[in-house]
Parts: sequence; structure tokens; C-alpha cells
Amino acid sequence: MSSKETILEALKANSPAPVERGPLGFTPMTFSDPLAEFRERAVKAAAARCILIEEGDDKASADTELSGNRATSSGDRTPEEDKSGSIRERIASIVRRTYPEARRIASNLPEAASCATFNPDELEDPRDLAGTDVAIVRGAFGVVENGAVWIPRAFRHKAMLFIPEALVILLDRKQIVCNMHEAYAREDFDTYDFGSFIAGPSKTADIEQALVIGAHGARDVTIILL
Amino acid sequence: MKIGLFIPCFVNAVYPQVGTASFKLLRSLGVDVDYPLGQTCCGQPMANGGFEKDSAPLARNMEKLFKDYDYVVGPSGSCVAFVKEHYPEILHKEAHECLSSRIYEICEFIHDVVRPTELPRAHFPHKVSIHNSCHGQRLLRLASPSELNIPHYSKLRDLLSLVKGIEVMEPSRVDECCGFGGMFSIEEPAVSACMGADKVRDHMSTGAEYITGADSSCLMHMEGIIQRQKLPVKTIHIVEILASNL
Amino acid sequence: MSTHSKAAEKFIADKERTAWHNQALWFVREKRDRMARSVPEWEALREAAARTKIHTVTHLAHYLEMFERNATANGIHVHWAKDAQEHNEIVYGILKEHGVRHLVKSKSMLAEECGLSPYLEERGIEAVESDLGERIMQLMHRPPSHIVLPAIHVKRQEVGELFEREIGTEHGNSDPTYLTHAARGHLRDKLLHADAAMTGVNFAVASSGAFVVCTNEGNADMGTSFPKLHIAIMGLEKVIPDYDALAIYHRLLARSATGQHSTTYTTHYKRPVEGQEMHIVIVDNGRSRILGNPVHRNMLKCLRCGACMNTCPVYRRSGGYSYSYFIPGPLGINLGMLADPKQYSGNVSACSLCMSCSNVCPAKIDLGEQIYSWRQELDSLGLANPVKKGIVKVLNTALRSPGMFHFCIKAGRLGEKIAPHGLLYCSANAWGRDRELPEFTSRTFEQIWKEELSSSAPAGQGKSEESGK
Repeated sequence: MSSKETILEALKANSPAPVERGPLGFTPMTFSDPLAEFRERAVKAAAARCILIEEGDDKASADTELSGNRATSSGDRTPEEDKSGSIRERIASIVRRTYPEARRIASNLPEAASCATFNPDELEDPRDLAGTDVAIVRGAFGVVENGAVWIPRAFRHKAMLFIPEALVILLDRKQIVCNMHEAYAREDFDTYDFGSFIAGPSKTADIEQALVIGAHGARDVTIILL
Repeated sequence: MKIGLFIPCFVNAVYPQVGTASFKLLRSLGVDVDYPLGQTCCGQPMANGGFEKDSAPLARNMEKLFKDYDYVVGPSGSCVAFVKEHYPEILHKEAHECLSSRIYEICEFIHDVVRPTELPRAHFPHKVSIHNSCHGQRLLRLASPSELNIPHYSKLRDLLSLVKGIEVMEPSRVDECCGFGGMFSIEEPAVSACMGADKVRDHMSTGAEYITGADSSCLMHMEGIIQRQKLPVKTIHIVEILASNL
Repeated sequence: MSTHSKAAEKFIADKERTAWHNQALWFVREKRDRMARSVPEWEALREAAARTKIHTVTHLAHYLEMFERNATANGIHVHWAKDAQEHNEIVYGILKEHGVRHLVKSKSMLAEECGLSPYLEERGIEAVESDLGERIMQLMHRPPSHIVLPAIHVKRQEVGELFEREIGTEHGNSDPTYLTHAARGHLRDKLLHADAAMTGVNFAVASSGAFVVCTNEGNADMGTSFPKLHIAIMGLEKVIPDYDALAIYHRLLARSATGQHSTTYTTHYKRPVEGQEMHIVIVDNGRSRILGNPVHRNMLKCLRCGACMNTCPVYRRSGGYSYSYFIPGPLGINLGMLADPKQYSGNVSACSLCMSCSNVCPAKIDLGEQIYSWRQELDSLGLANPVKKGIVKVLNTALRSPGMFHFCIKAGRLGEKIAPHGLLYCSANAWGRDRELPEFTSRTFEQIWKEELSSSAPAGQGKSEESGK
């Protein structure tokens, strides 16, 4: 008998009477203003930066930024940048002012074309992504309860999500779910080959429970809500 | 309603005043209370140590002594919890057929069954810190256990609020174990004593003069530490406070 | 004294360190409590988790076959290992076939259970731990002392000294941020140039053939991003039915483990991406036997969150190494006994039966109750502590008849009076070393009842049973 058969036989022989699964038995938490709460949690719980691009390009237009204990950079920008028309320029402006030192900016997204310095999909070896300052990717949806964003792979190398110093996630503000039950119940969820719920920058508390940002993955995460 | 008073072995042998206070308190509440003679022990010490089978004769004795009472009430959360949780198995009976369905810890009984709105004579002008014992808390649910997300309540605090002059505190680790654990206290003496010392310090940091609770065994353990380290805090069973001036 | 008791005594001798260790873990417990309170349906969620696990555990063969079918269709190679030996052979076989010399690993308790790293090292394969805590322990040549926080017992100064020696950090610098970033640099090269990556599995989703790996550091993710080969290993109880079940466990795991709403990276692997090869090894190693154990099969519900350790007042004060099994705390006491009672019964004493572990467990495993059950089994296994057995004999004699009970109280009182203090508090007296003994009363409650109280009780009571004199 193969090991598989041996194991399955043993499991069947030792299994107690089957127990029914039953219904979920509760109504999962929801939020009256999911977008506001998502921004709050992405910043406070996940330690990400969250920037909402305001609609329209009239005088009221301004990007509102929520960030944790970092100095906000919103004040540095010129009004001209914000009023400029296209989403592409708005994104570029945010990326440049948030990461002024960035030299290598990776993205395969048309929305990031103004600021990306290279298309990572053209690299054969993911190791060549080493030294990437910023990667810009698209998130499918955000989850309010934990401030995470689901990012199914839509680029060649999955290292894109982990190797850059900073990760910028573009997210449609309408694509927000309240909790993980809603997240996994989305009809399009199971279409990924590789994907990750990412909640802020890489972190660890392995030395004396002291929280340190920037263990192995990105040291900084910015979510741009479109 | 006929109540049988269950007095655990070490209350009988070490803290008889707790038994007396229990009796007086119940009687003052108009309860028909009796103490069946011939009680020794519920069997928890041997069972927690791994010899549950040795507690069977004691369980049978308890069953016999208390068979004619509507309720059985005792001033020790841990012993009551043991009877409740383990007697059905030890006696090979369904829970409703044996003592386990009728036994109450005394505070639980007063709070849930007698439900007094006042204790006219109770007066205790001191600062006390409530010791939420593990079995009272997590098995009998005398208060909401700190681990659970359920509405907060405390039956002991509710009862103490009927006492005049008292100031009630709770330690910061509100229901951390005091380290007694029966046989655990001698099988793991270093950990047990460390837990006891930590717990007493936590109670003392509230500024309390007394540590009070519904479990004489925890109080006994902490008292052992207090006496050895000559600490300026005392232990007192909660029924002694509730029965003050009776 | 039990093996745990002896080891714990040594740990506790350093009072300051014990207090520090206790507080560090209590801090994690408090974070977990805040998370539990932030989810209104927390208790119902635990209930759903427990029920879904029991359902899964009673359908393991079904879900494992479903997982294999779907994972295979996704292009993942699925292997089955009866035991640790076969697991190690399978992993080594795959590595050898690919000519792997350098493997990066993310934290896996299963790898520890199987002794994988030493097995591979003997065969010339370097296995580098990429989780910071695991890497610290690997460089110290010590096992992890906690399943989620491997280096929780190590002080920052010790990490500073270790890193100065091993990776050349500044002398005297023990700042966690500095040390973490130094480790990031040190490990990055290994992550980029490894020949293969190994991860554990937090959840294997049967309905889709995907598996999920949770980390905060992104080490598993970095590790699997570069090499052509990814091997994931899983205990067979890691399978869950579908995404509905995953939602439940995703919500509970990080909140229970470290007090976060979610791990930073909850990564889902479903298909190998271009040019990569993905293997998964499903390991039994005694789990099917546990399934047949009605008292202890609940252990198969475990998510390995470690909450039971963080809350355990004994673990917090005795440290991970005081347990002889590689998993400490309430979880380890139970799993050790299931692995080999003869070897690991010395941990069963490490529990005051406070039951806090059962209350924090996200899958509602009756951890404390199971330890109580193990104690009942020790005697028939011939593993009961003889001293305790002696005490129980004395208790049996003293407590079985009321007459004997009251005689013993009198004798005890006399003994207290005449015995010299040195005898009562000698080193052999486990209670008396740090605590005063309670004093027997001169008048038991039963005497008070007979002499005073019974007459004040309503008529016709107080004589239900004569004390057997």
C-alpha cells in the first residue's frame, strides 16, 4: 500500500461519527462608512499610508492623506500638481512627493506610466528586481476589518510585492469589503494563481516584542484610493 | 426550599469561621439551611493530582449526605466546580441525576437564587481587592472571564456593593491564577510560589487592606506567602464580609 | 519532582528574568484581548471555528483527497508521508533531484517535529531560517522556545552580542530596529540566492487546491520569490474545506497569536508561476492515530497560534525550555503526551488547571481539561509520581471516614505544635520553602455546628448523619 493509501485508510478507520458543519451562526461585523474605516485601519492597524484622490479637478480637489506617526507630506505639494487632470499625473505626483529619493520605480500599469522608470515584466530574472525603490501594483479590493488589500498577481514576478523598499497599491475606492467573509465570498476571488492580502509594511517584533517596520518585505506601503 | 451546607475539608479543618459565616449569612436571608454531619472532602485534591478514581468513594458519600436537599451550597468555588463538572463522570450518572445539578457556590446561590436587594447589617469599612479565582471565574462564571468577549459582570462585586463602608478594587491581571492548583502547589513549588507572590503583589498594588474571594484554597495559598514575606495585607473569605455583624 | 518542575526551578532562580519573560508574554496576551474585544462576534466566531474544525476532522480523508485532486490539477506535486522519516526522505529526494545546496526556510513547526534541518545538514544541504526569531535561534544553536515567538526568551543585548559575532553588527548596539535591519541585509543575500524555498502551511483549502502561508516579515514570500523550487510541508490537519472556512480562521489566527487584525502577509499559493515547481508534502506522523483517540482528538483542531502559551501562567514563568517536548505550554503538554507518554510525561505537572488556555483558544480546544485527563492516565501508564501517589494514599485514609478525618485534624494540630519548625519547613517540604503552612483549627466547623449552630437552625435539622466515631 502506498503511504497515501495507508494514511487515508487510517483516517477512515479512526474517524469518529461525522459532524455536520452547520451554519455560520452570526452576522459578521459591518461598518457604516466602510471607506473611512478602511483608511483608518489601514493606517492605524496595518501601518500603511492611505491617500484618497478626490474626485473632479475643481478648486476643492486635494488628495487627503492619512498616515500614522509619519510626518505627512501633503503640505509639500503645489496646488498645480493636484489640479492637473489625469489620474496618471495625480499618481505620479503622489509617488514623487511621497518617495522623493526613489530612482528605480517598477510598474507594468498604464496608470503608473508617468512615474515608473521600468517595466518589471521585461526582466527575465526576478533577482534583477533587487534595488527597486518603489513598485506600483493594483489591488483588487480592500478589507475594512484588518486594513489589508488583496493583490492577486497581475505582473510577471511575484517578488514585485516584497522586494521593493516601498510598495504603492492602487485601489478602486468602490472595491471595499467589510470583513473576510465578504472577501472570500467574492465571485472573482478564486481566479488568482498567486496572491496576497497585504496589511501595511513588513514588520517583526521578534526582538523583545519591540515592533520594527521593515523586516524582509517593503518598509513602506502607500495605498492610493482612486 | 431546603438547603444543605457543604463545608469542604480544609474549611472544616482550617477556616471554620467561613463555615459559620456561611450558615449565618444564609439564615439571615431567611433560607432554611442545614449542615449534614459526616462530611469530609469532595475528592478534588486526588482528582486534580491524577487520581480521580480515588475520589469515587467521597463522591458517593457526598451524594448520600445531600440526597434530600433541594440545593447544596458551599463556600468554595473550586470544590463546587469539581462536583459540578466531574461527579457525573465519576458516578457514571447523567448530570441531572446527581448532586452536580443542585450544587451552588454560595455567592452564586445568593446572587442568582436568593437575590437579596440589601444586606442590612453588613458593614466593612475597608479597602478590599477581589480575588477572581480560576474555577469560580472560568468554570462557574461568577464573573465574566477576562479572555472572553462577553458583557462584563461580577457576582462578587454585585454582592459586595450591598456592604456598607467597603471600597472594592480588583488587581490589574484581574483573573490570573494564584498558583495554588491543589497538588500543583507541591509538585511545581517554584512556579506555584512565584505565581502566588506575583498575585499577592498585584492585589497589594490596588492599595487594598484585604484580599477577598469565594475560594478559601486560593486565599490559603496567598496567606502562606503573605505570612512568610510578612506583607501588610490580609485575606478574608467573602462570606465573612457579607456576614459581618451577624 | 517532574522534569518540568526541576527545569522551571532553575529558570525561576533568576527572578528578574522570570518577571521580564512573564511580562513580555502577558503583553501579547493583552494585545490578543484587545483584538478579541474589537470583534463583536468574537465568541460566535470561535464557536464557528470549533464546529468547522470538528466537521473537518471527522471528514479528513474526504477533504485531503479533494485538496490533492485540486492541487494536482493546479500543477502542484502532492506527496504523502506516513511519518517524520518519510517526510525527510521525500524533501531530501526533491532537493537532491534539483541539485539544491542552499535552502531557505520559513518557520515551520512541522519541520521541527520531523527534525528536518539536522537531517538535511547531515546530507550537505544548508537550511537557513529566514524568520528573524528563528534565525536568532539558529545562530544560537538552540531550538525556538515558543511556536510563534521563537526568541521571546532572548534579551536584546544577547541578540546584539550574537549579531556582532555572527553578522558583524556594531559593538554594544542592541537597538531592535538596528538589529532587525542588520538581519534584513544579512538574510537578503541568502533569500535571493537560495536554490530552493521551503514554507510551512497555515491552511490548505480543499475546494481550490490552494494553500495559505501567513507571516509578518514577508520572509516566506521573499523566500519563494526567487528559486525555481518551492516545497511546502503540512500536517494533515491543516486542510480546511473551503474559503468560507478560511474566512473564519483568517479572522482568528493573527488576532489570537500576536494581537493583530491580520498578519502583514496572508499569501495564497494556488499554481506555480512561470518556470517554478511547487511541491506539497502532507504528513501524518501520528495524526491519524490522534484522530482515533476520543479524549484527545480535539488537538487536531489546533491552528498553532500560540495563544495558550501566552496566557499560561506556568509557561510565562518557566520558559519554553522547561518543557521536554519541542512545543511548550498547554499545547505542548498535550501534544507531547500524544507523541510519547513515556518520554514527555514530565510536562503534565506544568498546569494549575486555571483553564485560561481553554478560554483563549480560537478553536475552543479543551486544553486544560485534556491535561486533567492525562493526569488520570498517568497511573495506568505506570508514570505517576510516586510521592504524589503516597500523598493520595494518605488522603484516602484521612478522608474516607468522617471519624478518621476529624482524628487526623486533631493529630495534625498536635503535630504542628510539637514538630520543630525546621522539620515543617525543611527543604523536602515543597510547600514550606516559600510559604507558611496553614494551621489546623482547634475547633472544626463540624464541632461548632454541633455545639452552637445546630440549635439555632430550624427544628428537626442538624442530625442527618452521625459522625462515625
